[in-house]
Amino acid sequence: MSTVGDGALQDYEVPAGSRDELIDADGSPLPHATKLLAALERLGPERLEAAGRRRDTIFMQQGITFEVPTGDGERRDRAWPLDLVPRVLTAAEWTAIKRGLAQRIRALNAFVDDVYHAHEIVRAGIVPWSLVVSRPQFARPVHGVRPPGGVYCHVSGCDLVRGGDGRWRVLEDNVRTPSGISYVIENRLAMTRLMPELFEGQRIRAVDHYPSLLLDALRAVAPGVDGEATVVLWTPGPMNSAYFEHAFLARQMGIELVEAGDLVVRDAVCYMRTTSGLQRVHTIYRRLDDDFIDPLEFRPDSLLGVPGLVRAYRAGTVAIANAVGTGVADDKAVYHYVPEMIRFYLSEEPILENVPTYLLTDKRLREHVLGRLHELVIKPTSESGGKGVFIGPQADAAQRERQTRLIEELPERFIAQELVHLSTVPTEAGDGRLAPRHVDLRPFAVFGEEIRIVPGGLTRVALSPGSMIVNSSQGGGSKDTWVLDDGESGDLAPGTLPAQRPPRLPDVRYGGWHGQAQQQQQ
Amino acid sequence: MLARIAHELFWLGRDLTRAEHTARTLDGVFHADIAGAPGERSISLSWEAVLTIIGGKPPAPGEGAAGEETLGVVAIVEARPLGRDQTARLLTLDSGSQASIVSCVDRARERGRILRDVISTEMWEALNSFYLSLGRYDLAAAMRTGPYSVYHEVKERCALFWGLVDRTMLRDDGRAFLEAGGRIEQADMMLRMLLVTVPGASERDGHESEAIALLHAVGGAQAYRRAVRDAPTVGPVVRFLLYDGSYPGSVASSVAALRDALSDADAVPRTSPPVLRLERLIAELELQRRTPETGDALDAILGRVQGELALIDRDIGDRYFAIAVLAAVHL
Repeated sequence: MSTVGDGALQDYEVPAGSRDELIDADGSPLPHATKLLAALERLGPERLEAAGRRRDTIFMQQGITFEVPTGDGERRDRAWPLDLVPRVLTAAEWTAIKRGLAQRIRALNAFVDDVYHAHEIVRAGIVPWSLVVSRPQFARPVHGVRPPGGVYCHVSGCDLVRGGDGRWRVLEDNVRTPSGISYVIENRLAMTRLMPELFEGQRIRAVDHYPSLLLDALRAVAPGVDGEATVVLWTPGPMNSAYFEHAFLARQMGIELVEAGDLVVRDAVCYMRTTSGLQRVHTIYRRLDDDFIDPLEFRPDSLLGVPGLVRAYRAGTVAIANAVGTGVADDKAVYHYVPEMIRFYLSEEPILENVPTYLLTDKRLREHVLGRLHELVIKPTSESGGKGVFIGPQADAAQRERQTRLIEELPERFIAQELVHLSTVPTEAGDGRLAPRHVDLRPFAVFGEEIRIVPGGLTRVALSPGSMIVNSSQGGGSKDTWVLDDGESGDLAPGTLPAQRPPRLPDVRYGGWHGQAQQQQQ
Repeated sequence: MLARIAHELFWLGRDLTRAEHTARTLDGVFHADIAGAPGERSISLSWEAVLTIIGGKPPAPGEGAAGEETLGVVAIVEARPLGRDQTARLLTLDSGSQASIVSCVDRARERGRILRDVISTEMWEALNSFYLSLGRYDLAAAMRTGPYSVYHEVKERCALFWGLVDRTMLRDDGRAFLEAGGRIEQADMMLRMLLVTVPGASERDGHESEAIALLHAVGGAQAYRRAVRDAPTVGPVVRFLLYDGSYPGSVASSVAALRDALSDADAVPRTSPPVLRLERLIAELELQRRTPETGDALDAILGRVQGELALIDRDIGDRYFAIAVLAAVHL
């Protein structure tokens, strides 16, 4: 608990158990936030509030909105809720996060490869095979298919949280179709327009190179081509809630935004329908789940799919990013094993920890969890977007009763996690005053020839006091995330890297599909 | 360029041009209605005529209900002529009627949303704020006090959009299809206008004020004054609007620009049926321009040009968009 003198930070009280990222325990700004808070102080509440109104107008005009369902069943556009106080991370902090994420993504990628090929981690007795095959995202049709360079998780976004002890932990992995990067870039752009005063005297790392990173990665994984590879972004359609992001990325990368009807597979080669006939497609960055991509292999009732696409993928004529079947690695039950994976595949100690997680299939653990239900968070496995999450401290007796019954019925469908007291960041609370609000962080990584991570990421913030639910569909907002460039990056300069890098997986040569084509001939 | 995207761009151009033309027409008719002397009229620029021009348009593809809607309008006209207020409201702010300005802008904005990766950000913002500004307007009140400001805003916003196309959009196939959509709609609207308003040859004398009203309704009064020396009687005005290549709104200009746009978009324009058909139409218009006017030839020409334009529209669909439509049928 702490209070700060007067001005914007009047009555600033950090909730018990959490830690604030910009203000320390006795109420004075932390060293990396002094300039920012001084600038906010100079700005004053009135101008902060005025900038908020300007922001809403600009976002409505630019169509940076998301749809919220209203009471009467209609959907209404709302301006994207960007909080005007940025979150600040130091370069040293960021370097640790970046290394931890890169390590984790390498391990997840190796796991996906292992699951569809050698099953080494299963043989070693670390992950039970019954758990792997029972995941709904386990994709039998792609067994034995290895994309160029052995990269499966081209795009990933892991959700990080910071507990009361100040350590960063991974809350969730997301290696299917993580979204939010467009908002990272739009947030930064809006902040430089609305609040240029805050940027004065600070060096902040840029985020707007993400589209070119992504395009490079997508080109790098294209199967052998003579000329330039044709890369497309596949969207489920304008009705999808993330359509803004799909169009944004396609525009920034200068590639076609396709829908299922635009793609067609002939003789195991994928084409798109253009005004001058069919044109070959080499890489598809898809923004829909495995289940829907090919009605011949997955859900037969999918109208969003392209019949025969998986056949073309198996034949190696088209690359799909993320690869088919990666969902098995971001399942919540598999999450529990990720630190073990890092030790097994990389022989390294995990840099970023997991939130303590309990699998409920073990009888003794289950009883322990049921006894502590009022303290824990219960999540259904194989779900995303905060669906079906049970938060112990906020539930009443009846809800606990119902959850107990659900768990006892199907224990393998749930995991239990310790509650993390999310860290807080000063946030504009409606009238220009600042108040602490809980945040999480989703950095975005791109894996092409190597893993590249955009500095910062999407910070989501719960806008109501004390709430820890940051989803934008449930009243959450977002913040611009700054990574300070204070000369302590610890990055290797490009010149110090060897020209030839070793392959990421044994026996996989980078670039092209030669290995696989040979396998298929045999 | 994806066939579906090309199709959307084509119809984005059509929708916006339709909105602009509707605004111009309504504005001109309002003016003629208030200022014009009652009595005999040679150019029948009346409210019923306006409904026939705009309301009788064939619906855009995928707008099943549109057909019934426009038919409904016609049925009302036959039963009982609508007054000024009802017609203006129907064609300006009735979001239920597919022909109204509000619906055109709605559709254009929806297409803009789909096309956000193709068009420039500024173009999208122009479309979006156009849509938002119409929503913000108390249109009903504005219509009562004087619709001039509403129509003026529609014209300005459309001009802003096309200006941004010029300044910010890449000169590629996408731009060509957008322009083609705008041009074919322009030619089509002008022809409809002339077909409905121009009377038979026998009654085509004098009536200066009515011809001026027609010029105002298509926004070409000043251009006519400067380009043509003759007094604005029906004959010269119609010939001006049909043949004069120096006036950007004339049928001849629109058709020529449509040909240019399609030649840009097509890899092999020499084998493209719509381009070939357009070449012939352009030649015919040029020939007619040089032929002295004889009696009621004008009516026949108007009809023939409109028929040709419908065939060109069909050819464009067959050559460029059919592949996308096939996909829809397949699904």
